[in-house]
Amino acid sequence: MTKRQNEDDIVRVDFGFKRLLAETVEGDLANFCYQCGACVGDCPAATYSEEFNPREIMLKVLYGLEDELLGPDSVIWECTNCYACHERCPQQVKPVEIVISLKNMLAARGDAPDVVNRVIHTFETTGRTVPYSPAIDKQRAKFGLPPMGEVPMDEIQALLEPATEGEAT
Amino acid sequence: MKRFAFFPGCLIPARHPAMEFAIRETLPKLDIELVDLEGASCCPDPIYFKSKDKLSWLAVAARNLCLAEELGVDLVTNCSGCTATLSETYHMLHDDPDVKDQVNQRLAKIGKTYKGTSKIRHIATVVRDEAGYEKIRNSVTHPLVGLKVAIHYGCHLLKPSKIMNVDNPDDPSVLENLIRALGAEPVRHRNWYLCCGKACQNEDIPNNMMHDLLGSVHDEQADVLGMICPTCFGQFDHGQMKIAKLFEEDFHTPPVYYFQLLALAQGVPYDQLGFQKQRFKPTVLQQFEEAAAPPA
Repeated sequence: MTKRQNEDDIVRVDFGFKRLLAETVEGDLANFCYQCGACVGDCPAATYSEEFNPREIMLKVLYGLEDELLGPDSVIWECTNCYACHERCPQQVKPVEIVISLKNMLAARGDAPDVVNRVIHTFETTGRTVPYSPAIDKQRAKFGLPPMGEVPMDEIQALLEPATEGEAT
Repeated sequence: MKRFAFFPGCLIPARHPAMEFAIRETLPKLDIELVDLEGASCCPDPIYFKSKDKLSWLAVAARNLCLAEELGVDLVTNCSGCTATLSETYHMLHDDPDVKDQVNQRLAKIGKTYKGTSKIRHIATVVRDEAGYEKIRNSVTHPLVGLKVAIHYGCHLLKPSKIMNVDNPDDPSVLENLIRALGAEPVRHRNWYLCCGKACQNEDIPNNMMHDLLGSVHDEQADVLGMICPTCFGQFDHGQMKIAKLFEEDFHTPPVYYFQLLALAQGVPYDQLGFQKQRFKPTVLQQFEEAAAPPA
């Protein structure tokens, strides 16, 4: 008779967390990961950081280890967004998209880093990621370029709101 | 004259108007006409705003694509980040009817519908495919003979290749060929494929990566670092000062945006191209101003 496994050695999958992740755009692709590690070799963050490894992130996603993925100082912000893992993945998991879906979950809780929040705020209030200043148009004029165009903010802000209450995000 | 809707994004028009000037100066000489897109917003950026909420990101990107659809033309981008956002949106909405439906429900609030009729073209592919290397070569009056240009593709121009449709990310040639068309010599250094690290929130990663990259460019004795992405440009211009201080090693490799290089080769004087605004000034380019035109 085989020895019964110690309860402490068993990883329990948190399906509730995985369902939440699956609600984000392309968050449902995570389940196709078979842990081959093709995403690791070309990953610049994995090459230059001891703590960032896309295969390990995907394993934690498969288990639904929310505390490790979305805890304070989450390692996911070390991703360089280079898309090498998207290019390499034989399962079309798009690991970078899973990382971004996790960032969406952190942002929804108000837990994005300050530098990220600042750019988001600039976009949501001006429609651009570089804040406008009259100095910009002055510089542009030196090259004979017209002033920066107007962004209709009423339209942008309408698009930032869900169309219906039940809309998945 | 082939017409395209011009999507300049935020970074180039606001921070690097010299790059926009160079684009507007060079493309007509290649028989490419740019039509301005009234009311365009940030693409929105694929790093920060996409981190907030992918669906809102898709909806705003789709609105920008609608503006080109309304003009009935394809859209040309000059920033790898904008290309990534708009190309991903095009593919995601094509592949996933549910997401497309959700995006169109939001667009309905502003009286728009995304159809998917305008394609997204990065400016490098537009000059490659619409003009061709031969036409670019023929537009050059001041060939940059002897200039060694280290290549830096950055990430989003090439990857994911199925979405970006620009070149083979493992063995690309477009930037090398574009540089060759100017009479200059492209240099594929050993760290050519590295990322600039701008999106990473742990500074050690980009610092070490940029240091390695600049070291390999220096080893090849390249004169300048040829850039095609304004975000990478910022990393290697402003950011290179930080690297020099941090590692006490000044590689002094001026980054140069490709279309400014093209403008110079087409005869636009050095002083008009805004190079004096750079932290690392590519003064090596001044010698080509007086260069004789090639024999007809």
